[in-house]
Amino acid sequence: MQNLRNLTLLALPFLLAACGGSKPAGAGASNEEKKLNLYCWAEYIPQGVIDDFTKETGIQVSVENYASNEEMIGKLLAGGGKYDLIQPSEYAVEALIQDQQLQPLNQGALTNLGNLAPEFRNMPFDAGNKFSVPFMAGFVGIVVNTDKIKTPIKSFNDVFVPAHKNRIVILDDSREITSWALGEAGLGINDVTPENLAKIRPMLQKWLPLVKVYDSDSPKTALQNGDVDIGVVWSGEGAILYNDNKKFQFVLPHSGAHLFVDNMAIPKTAQHPQNAHLFINYLLRPEVGKKVADEFPYYSPNRAARSLLSPEQLANPASYPPAQEVSRMQTFKDLGPQAAAVDALVTEIKAGGK
Amino acid sequence: MGGAAFSDTAASHPASATAGWKAWLLLAPLLIWLGVFVALPTALLILTSFSKRDALGRVIYDFTLENYLNSFNPTWLTIFGNSIFYAFLATVICVVVGYPAAYTIGRASPRVRHLLLTLVMIPFWTSFLIRTYAWISILSEQGLANSLLLASRIFTDPLPMMYTPFSIVLGLVYNYLPFMILPIYTSVEKLDNSLIEAAYDLGAGPMRAFSRVIIPLTKPGIAAGALLVFVPAIAMYAITTLMGGGSNPTIGEVIQNQFTKARNQPFGAALGVLLMLLFLVSFLILSRRKNVAHAA
Repeated sequence: MQNLRNLTLLALPFLLAACGGSKPAGAGASNEEKKLNLYCWAEYIPQGVIDDFTKETGIQVSVENYASNEEMIGKLLAGGGKYDLIQPSEYAVEALIQDQQLQPLNQGALTNLGNLAPEFRNMPFDAGNKFSVPFMAGFVGIVVNTDKIKTPIKSFNDVFVPAHKNRIVILDDSREITSWALGEAGLGINDVTPENLAKIRPMLQKWLPLVKVYDSDSPKTALQNGDVDIGVVWSGEGAILYNDNKKFQFVLPHSGAHLFVDNMAIPKTAQHPQNAHLFINYLLRPEVGKKVADEFPYYSPNRAARSLLSPEQLANPASYPPAQEVSRMQTFKDLGPQAAAVDALVTEIKAGGK
Repeated sequence: MGGAAFSDTAASHPASATAGWKAWLLLAPLLIWLGVFVALPTALLILTSFSKRDALGRVIYDFTLENYLNSFNPTWLTIFGNSIFYAFLATVICVVVGYPAAYTIGRASPRVRHLLLTLVMIPFWTSFLIRTYAWISILSEQGLANSLLLASRIFTDPLPMMYTPFSIVLGLVYNYLPFMILPIYTSVEKLDNSLIEAAYDLGAGPMRAFSRVIIPLTKPGIAAGALLVFVPAIAMYAITTLMGGGSNPTIGEVIQNQFTKARNQPFGAALGVLLMLLFLVSFLILSRRKNVAHAA
């Protein structure tokens, strides 16, 4: 009997999820309990930063991780979890704003917003930080093991040459891969139309059979283990490789390099929005921003935090490339239903290319 | 277990109505478990596979056959074929490697047998993900295997072993081998020595006794093992992603991508339903063989 009741209890969340009932936004924000449900990228917010926040405010933070924006959006919209704070990338912010899934931020509670570099106060996906606050930014670039590859590498076309066959690691991300090809074809990274996808197909058919490893989670591993000599990776991974060994040089490609921005945002259904504002404002502090940048060497949008970094950190070409390079970079726009077409194109070439 | 309880109770009180009620009560946990964790998710999967989606990937319950029509396209069929091939290869290797091991364990003295069985189980004490990561550091170009090969001067250049079909199949065999050994061991343990002696008495050599008597008698174990290895190996995606490097995508990876990257849950669900049908077919084929073996 006990067994039976346990089973029913276990089953309850599933049944609720199956019914798909969406709860109204949490009322009574004034007397919030000391809790915060954080839904963020894996390996992005140092545990020490979260612990310090709990120590200071008494707010218990429970953390759940995701590995892609799509995974996060899917779970958020299914209504299963009660998330107070999410960490969407730029195109996901755009999509969520459009679908009215985000709460407008209370600017008065975010007293540290001024620490952000001015360009991050006015990103095209959310001008004026009405719904989102940049947490970290970065690029996608090329890492070259200069011990093994002696030819100069400047663009994606230099990466995908027959001489590098089976010596390449790239991100396992169809959107990224197509954006590189769009850039090399002289098209904009957001010009994803069926015609343009058809146009870049021959290029991808030449590129992808040369690739040995697809890895978005830790592309540096294959480079460190010597299984590949060149890679297209996140800038933070490139920065770690550069810190490990200067033989790993980071190159921003001539065309197609883009800026990604991961943001903090509060879902409409959040039950602890005040606590979420407290946490966002806490992350915006210079010394907290520095701790994040120490552990994850991406491009900090926090100007005040950047001024606390060591000259070495600022000299890392993967973390902080020349400002004029950064300023001309575009960000991804939401693809909507085209996302499936992009994924189908890349998967098809991956499967048929060998 | 529930089934056994049911038949025991029913047998001892064949005419009593309360016994039936008690039997159902004993069965209830199992039935609820099956309903909540098997029937309901499967129904949701089938429902989703006939549905549409919106721009954010939300499922719209509006009937369409589109997802199934999209499934029958050379790309996905090739990937299905590759996955079946890897799983088949892994199953065959598991039989070849696992049979002698299971036979040795089954014929060993009870004390040694327990020790050997424990050795087979030991890998389960560690998460399979950690064991898979261990293989990555063994097989990579600066890893253990290549260092040994280079140090022994058998090869002058490191062998590319990681991120190849070889590493995928190796990962599958390594992880599923115990599931082959254990059922075969159970069959071997039940083997009647007098039948083997009879074969020898009637003039059969060791090869003939093995192929005509021992193999047919342990066939149920082989079939059960093959089922336990082949079916999960087709859909496995963690090992194939980590050890295959994604350049030889399997159907498990493709389905995962539909849910986590392509915002296309209905299509992922349709591929999932097709995969389930594939399991059903392989199960029917293998269990029919098993029944034939039982009958014989």
